[in-house]
Amino acid sequence: MAQTNSHLTLLSDLTPPSLERTWLTSPHPTLPIVATCSSDKTVRIYSLTNFKLLSTITGGHKRSVRTAAWKPHISGESVLATGSFDATVGIWRRWDNYGTNTNPTEDNLAEDEVDAEDEEWRFAVLLDGHDSEVKSVSWSPSGMLLATCARDKSIWIWEDLDDGDNNFETVAVMQEHGGDVKCVSWHPVEECLASAGYDDTIRLWREDLDDWGQVACIKGHGGTVWFLDWEGVDASPAAASVDLQRQWREQVSLSGPRLVSCSDDRTARIWRRVPKESASAAALSSAATGIPSIIRPTGTDENWEEDACLPHAHELAIYSVAWSRRTGLIASVGADGRIVLYEERFVEGGPNTDPGAGAGADSEAMDTTDDAAPSPSSLRTGWSIVAVVDGAHGIYEINHAAWAKRADRASESAGTSEEEVLVTTADDGSVKNLDRIEAAGTLHWQDPVLK
Amino acid sequence: MAEVQNSNPTILNVADLPTRSRSTKKSGDYDYTSGIFAAVPNPADFLSSDSEDDDLLEEPIDEQEIFDLIKLISDPEHPLSLGELAVVSLPDISIKPTLPNVPSSPLQTVTVLITPTITHCSLATVIGLGVRVRLEQSLPPRFRMDVRIKEGTHSTGDEVNKQLGDKERVAAALENGALMQVIAKMMETCR
Repeated sequence: MAQTNSHLTLLSDLTPPSLERTWLTSPHPTLPIVATCSSDKTVRIYSLTNFKLLSTITGGHKRSVRTAAWKPHISGESVLATGSFDATVGIWRRWDNYGTNTNPTEDNLAEDEVDAEDEEWRFAVLLDGHDSEVKSVSWSPSGMLLATCARDKSIWIWEDLDDGDNNFETVAVMQEHGGDVKCVSWHPVEECLASAGYDDTIRLWREDLDDWGQVACIKGHGGTVWFLDWEGVDASPAAASVDLQRQWREQVSLSGPRLVSCSDDRTARIWRRVPKESASAAALSSAATGIPSIIRPTGTDENWEEDACLPHAHELAIYSVAWSRRTGLIASVGADGRIVLYEERFVEGGPNTDPGAGAGADSEAMDTTDDAAPSPSSLRTGWSIVAVVDGAHGIYEINHAAWAKRADRASESAGTSEEEVLVTTADDGSVKNLDRIEAAGTLHWQDPVLK
Repeated sequence: MAEVQNSNPTILNVADLPTRSRSTKKSGDYDYTSGIFAAVPNPADFLSSDSEDDDLLEEPIDEQEIFDLIKLISDPEHPLSLGELAVVSLPDISIKPTLPNVPSSPLQTVTVLITPTITHCSLATVIGLGVRVRLEQSLPPRFRMDVRIKEGTHSTGDEVNKQLGDKERVAAALENGALMQVIAKMMETCR
């Protein structure tokens, strides 16, 4: 089998690091900067151009900052939402005049003195409503809505009124989850929210006639679901044939972007919405077999099914998954300190091919199409592990991974402006930038030199 | 606590609890692994013919040491230790490599099974949290803690285990002042 191995090599640490556990790093949607949340109650803003600390947001939260998200689609200003164990959500603003500069320490020195006030992160508003630790925050694709979730089992949706007065209005409070809600994540283009948590479920939410309600509840994981991420809208598996890709896009356009989840049960799974037509066909066939369907889809109900379970690669809980919207690669990280990269490929052969025939789980493609699935065999895909990095943060657990556009000088000189880096965040407080290099051969891992 | 839940627990004699000294007596050597010499490496380590990485000279941590770390934690409702109440016991502690398929990995998982004195003890979570906190504070970060209620010894064991295994909840609990006061009180007898 012709196979390209992806290599992850350490590009750089982000320095100086937090001295305490870091939970998550959120890359800015347009600028080459990231926000890292720390147990020391602060958020650190680092540059992806020189990997140095640009500023530290302090004084807003009384306990660990667990999560952060950048508001999309605004220009001239950056807006960051932060969620903390202190049960509050903070909104921070700052004029965009740094981060794009490759050497801010020298060039901006004089400017710093003049515009000291503009350099600061301005605390805008504290969103109060949750009863306990806030675990995740997410902005809708338009940037109009902010979803937050907490240990109090609730999900809140806030509307940013954008009235220049930092007013947010509570649009909905959803309390269907049976335990902590660990993660909220908006669909890449639609106003559809996915959530997951301690009750082992993944739920999907949409607005129907002014009311936000649950449209699907996915049960499949055997433990807390820690994190969710959506597939990009234009993604498709690598294929030699343009025709294959066109067919794939047609199929995908019916079900929409897929969702990847990871769990305490040590698995990462991919979920696909069953297109409405085939869902009713399934209902018809159940009528034909005489077995009554207990699921009665109303206008808004959606049927989600497992599309794939990624090849087993983690020995402990998987805390985060990141689905690259540029390359379609998925990265997973967890308590075992491992980073694993998965790639989806079209699988040759008919439905009778036994996917479990090979012994090497690491390179063996896993079958992802159910026997009953109606898709033509030419559109079968499988996920293979293309890279594994053990001990990526030494002995520490890795809490989060995120893809970001590479922005350092080395990449510019190489002319690979679309290259991506994987930013991982761990218990030791360090944040690392991993560079993905396509090459053949064995995996190479370079030890951190900046520590 | 309004009312003691288990007013008549079974108590073990401290002298009967397993200790290291019993096993080392046979050789007649000085016991280097306890008392004020605990921090001094056993000369035997240096005399051994293995001359690999420096970290291998690090004194290995065994089940007895884990037991010694947690046996003196006080029960939240009795003036007795978890060792005396047999809430923790040496046979219920195990240490295994976390990544058995990666021989070079230094990660090890410490599993401690807790036996609550009564099957409906509402303090099981607090006791488990105390054990986990004690180990996290005492052991190097290459150890992964797996503190669980021993199967069949508690009516809501699975629920307690899920909480104790949830890193985020444990982290949040450590920032909860009231809860940490209770834990600190349990730890007082450890020093």
